Amino acid sequence: MAFLRLLRTLLLGAVLTTGQAVGAPTEYEIKAVFLLHFSRFVEWPPEAFTAPDAPFVVCVFGHDPFGEALDAAVRGEMQGQHPILARRIFNVTEARECHILFLHRSEDARLAEILTTLGRNSTLTVSDSVRGVRRGEVIRLITDNDRIRLRIDVDAARAARLKIKSNLLRAAELVGSTGD
Amino acid sequence: MTARTVPIRAQLMRMLLLTSGMVLLFTCAAFVTYELTTFRQSTTRHLSTLGQAIAANSTAALAFDNPSDAKTVLSAFRADRSIVAAALYDSSGNLFASYPDDLTPDDLPRVVQSNGYRFEDGHVLGFEPVMEAGRPLGTLFLKSDLSAIRERFRSYGLITGIVIALSALLAYFVSYRQQSRISKPILALAEKARAVSDHNDYTVRAERSRTREIDSLTDAFNHMLTQIERSESRLRAQMGRLSLLQHITSAIGDRQDLPSIFQVVLRSVEENLPIDFGCFCLHEGANDTLTVKAVGAASQPLAATLGLTEHTSLPIDPNGLSRCMHGQLVYEPDVRDVPFPFPQRLADGGLRSLVIAPLSVESNVFGAFISARREPHAFTSADCEFLKQLSEHVALAAHQAQLYNALQRAYDDLRQSQHAVMQQERLRALGQMASGIAHDINNALSPVSLYTESLLEHEPNLSARARSSLEVIQRAIDDVASTVARMREFYRKREPELALGAVDLNRMVEQVLELTRARWLDVPQQRGAVIELNKELDRELPEIMGAEGEIRDALTNLVLNAADAMADGGTLTIRTSALEAASGERLAKIEVIDTGVGMDEETRRRCLEPFFTTKGERGTGLGLAMVYGMVQRHRGELEIESAPGQGTTVRLIFPGYEQSLHETMRLPTAALPKRRLRVLLIDDDPTIIKAMQDALEADGHTTVAANSGQAGIDTFTAAFGTANAFALVFTDLGMPRVDGRKVADEIKRLSPSTPVVLLTGWGQRMLTENDIPPNVDRVLSKPPRLHEVRLAIRELVE
Repeated sequence: MAFLRLLRTLLLGAVLTTGQAVGAPTEYEIKAVFLLHFSRFVEWPPEAFTAPDAPFVVCVFGHDPFGEALDAAVRGEMQGQHPILARRIFNVTEARECHILFLHRSEDARLAEILTTLGRNSTLTVSDSVRGVRRGEVIRLITDNDRIRLRIDVDAARAARLKIKSNLLRAAELVGSTGD
Repeated sequence: MTARTVPIRAQLMRMLLLTSGMVLLFTCAAFVTYELTTFRQSTTRHLSTLGQAIAANSTAALAFDNPSDAKTVLSAFRADRSIVAAALYDSSGNLFASYPDDLTPDDLPRVVQSNGYRFEDGHVLGFEPVMEAGRPLGTLFLKSDLSAIRERFRSYGLITGIVIALSALLAYFVSYRQQSRISKPILALAEKARAVSDHNDYTVRAERSRTREIDSLTDAFNHMLTQIERSESRLRAQMGRLSLLQHITSAIGDRQDLPSIFQVVLRSVEENLPIDFGCFCLHEGANDTLTVKAVGAASQPLAATLGLTEHTSLPIDPNGLSRCMHGQLVYEPDVRDVPFPFPQRLADGGLRSLVIAPLSVESNVFGAFISARREPHAFTSADCEFLKQLSEHVALAAHQAQLYNALQRAYDDLRQSQHAVMQQERLRALGQMASGIAHDINNALSPVSLYTESLLEHEPNLSARARSSLEVIQRAIDDVASTVARMREFYRKREPELALGAVDLNRMVEQVLELTRARWLDVPQQRGAVIELNKELDRELPEIMGAEGEIRDALTNLVLNAADAMADGGTLTIRTSALEAASGERLAKIEVIDTGVGMDEETRRRCLEPFFTTKGERGTGLGLAMVYGMVQRHRGELEIESAPGQGTTVRLIFPGYEQSLHETMRLPTAALPKRRLRVLLIDDDPTIIKAMQDALEADGHTTVAANSGQAGIDTFTAAFGTANAFALVFTDLGMPRVDGRKVADEIKRLSPSTPVVLLTGWGQRMLTENDIPPNVDRVLSKPPRLHEVRLAIRELVE
């Protein structure tokens, strides 16, 4: 069922992006799906999980722009053996328990603190900040011409001991030691 | 080779080319078929692999909605020119990205179809799901062009064609070379077969090839030729023997005498079979041995060393010869192994193989045909069979020859006896005629003889000349009488009593030459021919004991023959000589030699036969026969030497004079009768009556004559019992109605004591044949001699 919903979401997103259909997915509906997709194109080290069946946690820090969309997107989904859970966190310390941590552009101010807190923790940090080119997050979602592009900081990813699949790397704009 | 048949070379070529062509074609077809079937799979697999790779690379593009990335991914198809179109559809089926850039929407399917690959319009279409972590993100569409494949197939076709063409060419050359290995020996074989059938030459042989089957065919062919050759040579040999047999049988068929038959057979067999030694033996029943009767000409030297020359007697060996004498053909392959005398004898002469074929007629073996060769085991069965058949033929021919000879002998005997009978008949006729003539001559001579004798006795006053003439007349009468007497001897079986006396052959020669002068001197001279006379008389010649007249006649005959033989003149030689026989007996030889035409062998052989003459109508054919008869009667010998153109010598040899014989044969001397008798003379011939009367009355007897038998009987009857009774009766034998026999019967019936003397011209014959009729006391032959008459009267009456 979740699959069908996802399809619908994607479909809606496509309609939205082409602007050819009414009721097209919203920006954050698409970003929610992106977050889910990240769980598939990125590999976490085993120590990121306390148990083999420990949940894969997708966190939204501070402001939640997704509403129901994120929950809808991850509902019932699995990352390997790990059920995917969506959580909203507000405390920086909680960020260490997240595998993916989305940070809305309104929370740019907290980014540095969060990154510091996380240190070399294997957390895929995603932001849609519009400030600066490179602020330490692993993936930045850039809205460009009604499309959402990806910018990946490979240094950050390496620091977080995350392996990003080549597919994703090719589809994204890379920054860091291998990029600009 | 008819039009429909095909040469084996062409057939083999066709076969090899067809085979290799078929193989090639099927190989190529299989290859193409394989390519075709595997092509789809490989194409599909290739496309699928490609699709999966691209799909895997497209996941992020789809997942994060990055069409440009998708395009980049799709552009990887540029590496494969066969991919003519590709497109990515999102999970909703909307076109997300496509390849190449110039693609129109018509080139792509309007809707996403189920996953998988299919062929369509010369293209392969495929839909590959784009999945990430088991979740479908979209669909990849692929379209591959097959024209490249088609091109490849065209290349395949071209290559196949070239390969087939090249292979065919190669196959042609290879098969051309290979077929010759099969066809060449077969053609050679066929050529040999044709040569054999064309020339009937079975000595040719096919050569072996290197092919096993053809070799066995060649061997079989050669074997067949060998068989044919062998049987043909056997046939030829058989034909040769048959023709030899035929030749020999026809040759011996022409011959009727055994030696000639044997020689012909031996010569033919020696030359043509051939053999090293051959001889014929005949069985001698008396001592049960075989006698060599004929040895082949070529075998003579060997026969001499073997001691098997003609007339050699061979004991019959237990083996070999005796088996042969039981009718078996004996073949000894090697006589050295046979421990019997005869085979060993041959072995000593260097002969090794021996065949003894019996000569038998009606299972009676009468001889053997022995043939031998120097080599052991040299006679084949066919040779033996041939010799057996030959000996059967020879036996038959020999038998026939024997029969023929027996028949010839019988025929000769028959002819001789027929001849003798005919001759006797002729002699009888001649004798009868001669008797008649003699009778008449005797009758006619009777008075002459009586008067001459009477005159010489009773007329002392006769002049010396008259007395001499009368003596000549008397001798002539004696000669005539004895000649007449001899005329009848031709048909006599018994030799007449010879009136033997001492004969001086020299005097006899003079007399004969005198008597025959006209024939050897006068008659030839009239023709202008001259016969010279050459007398060589041996004065020491002994007298011989003989009948003077006969010897004179014989010599006369010989002189006349000699004169006849020298019609153109020549020399007549008469030679007498004294000889002494081995026993010491003295012999007198007289030769009559002419230089005339002579006689050939046939004539010389037959000249003594009675009635054989070379003088045609002029000759009687009795001359030399009489001479021969005379010589035999005188215990003499007759030799005749003559050759054509060489003249003739006739030689007579007589035993010399013997006193004792002469004495006993001396004629009794007549004496004058002491009593005067009354004599009745009965004869139908008045001259004889008159002569007898004169002669008897001159002796003092009284005679009464009667001119017929009846008159004589009447006269005797009338006088019987009276003083005028007759003391003696002389009667002729042959008289009309009442002959001398009847007269004698009547007189003896009336007066048995009265002697009856029969006077007859046949008298000599009656005397010698004991044919004196009953009631006749004495027979006197005409012409009666006075001393005989006197002797009869004295013996019968006094």
